Amino acid sequence: MTVVQLGSTDTCRSGADAPQGGVPRVLLVIPCFNEEASIGDLLGEIAATGRPYHTLVVDDGSSDATSAVAGARSPVARLAQNLGIGGAVQTGIKYAARHNFDFCLQIDGDGQHDPREIETLLNAYARRPTNITIGSRFIDNAGFCSTRMRRFGIRLIARALNTLFNGGSITDPTSGMRLLDRRAIALFAKTYPMDYPEPISLAWAMRAGLTVGEVPVEMRARETGVSSIDGLKSVSYMIRVLGYILLARIARRS
Amino acid sequence: MTNVLPSNETVVVISAFALIYMLVLLRKTLQGKFDLYDFLMLSMVAIIPAGFALFPNLAYLASHLTGVVFPFVVMFGALFLVVFAFMHNITARLHKLERQNWALIQEQSLLTLELKAKESGKSGA
Repeated sequence: MTVVQLGSTDTCRSGADAPQGGVPRVLLVIPCFNEEASIGDLLGEIAATGRPYHTLVVDDGSSDATSAVAGARSPVARLAQNLGIGGAVQTGIKYAARHNFDFCLQIDGDGQHDPREIETLLNAYARRPTNITIGSRFIDNAGFCSTRMRRFGIRLIARALNTLFNGGSITDPTSGMRLLDRRAIALFAKTYPMDYPEPISLAWAMRAGLTVGEVPVEMRARETGVSSIDGLKSVSYMIRVLGYILLARIARRS
Repeated sequence: MTNVLPSNETVVVISAFALIYMLVLLRKTLQGKFDLYDFLMLSMVAIIPAGFALFPNLAYLASHLTGVVFPFVVMFGALFLVVFAFMHNITARLHKLERQNWALIQEQSLLTLELKAKESGKSGA
């Protein structure tokens, strides 16, 4: 297994904010909504990696036993109301900021992300530090790559981001597997999009001068549940995301 | 321009509506259901038509000044303006509340987690 030597990386060139020395503290933020069927296995897989990751399951107001199942293996932040993925992820980011973590890695609770890929993201950061490192499905096009229609939409969003902002060449802006360094944690703990957070947070980050990198990862089809963006909703999703990206471009850097 | 004055019946109906509506609003404001801004903006629905009915010459003057032929068009224009200004304010307030609600829920969950961690630390010690 490759060992990440984050202390030796050159962080000045890229503007990324790597830890100064010692073993980096990594927090895995796992947002969940009614994932009792998959969360136990996911936490088991994370433990099986044998790496000293800290985990935080954010239960986004589930009505099933997600909290109880996850609570057996990990700390759980239980939201009293369903805030959506943006609210759940930001809760984890705030936790990372308050507990002084070096890295915060978002990983979906539905089993789509293979925990062994966490190492891939950390190694990519060690090689080339960027404030946000995305696990992309579309560099190698291996594993589950979503439907054709969705891929078209994702390409459109990626093109909008790459055209309107400097700071990265993105292929998978909707990926829910992403590594944040301290600078990205500080930004997102302060402000994070409520709607469609993955692509819009990238626009906000690049507007704030953060750098974005990508590394190929293989994703799996979700084990349980269905996507919340289907049919006509996907059209509304596209229009709103592109609108928000445009707004982020027009808005002054904060 | 023909200055047609509103009939007595129209004045009575509009005045009665304005009075009753204003009383209802005042009651709700005193009960704390509306604040002063809400009271003022909502009462425009009564004040503007009542003003146009009770002071028709003023209504004709307003329509003349704005270059609109019919005073009732000016009246509805003014009402729309008030409604949009009110909606604008409410939307901004709603969004702010949504953000505050979101932050409070996050804060509550993180504090609960912290409390649990402290309790388990104490019991483990």
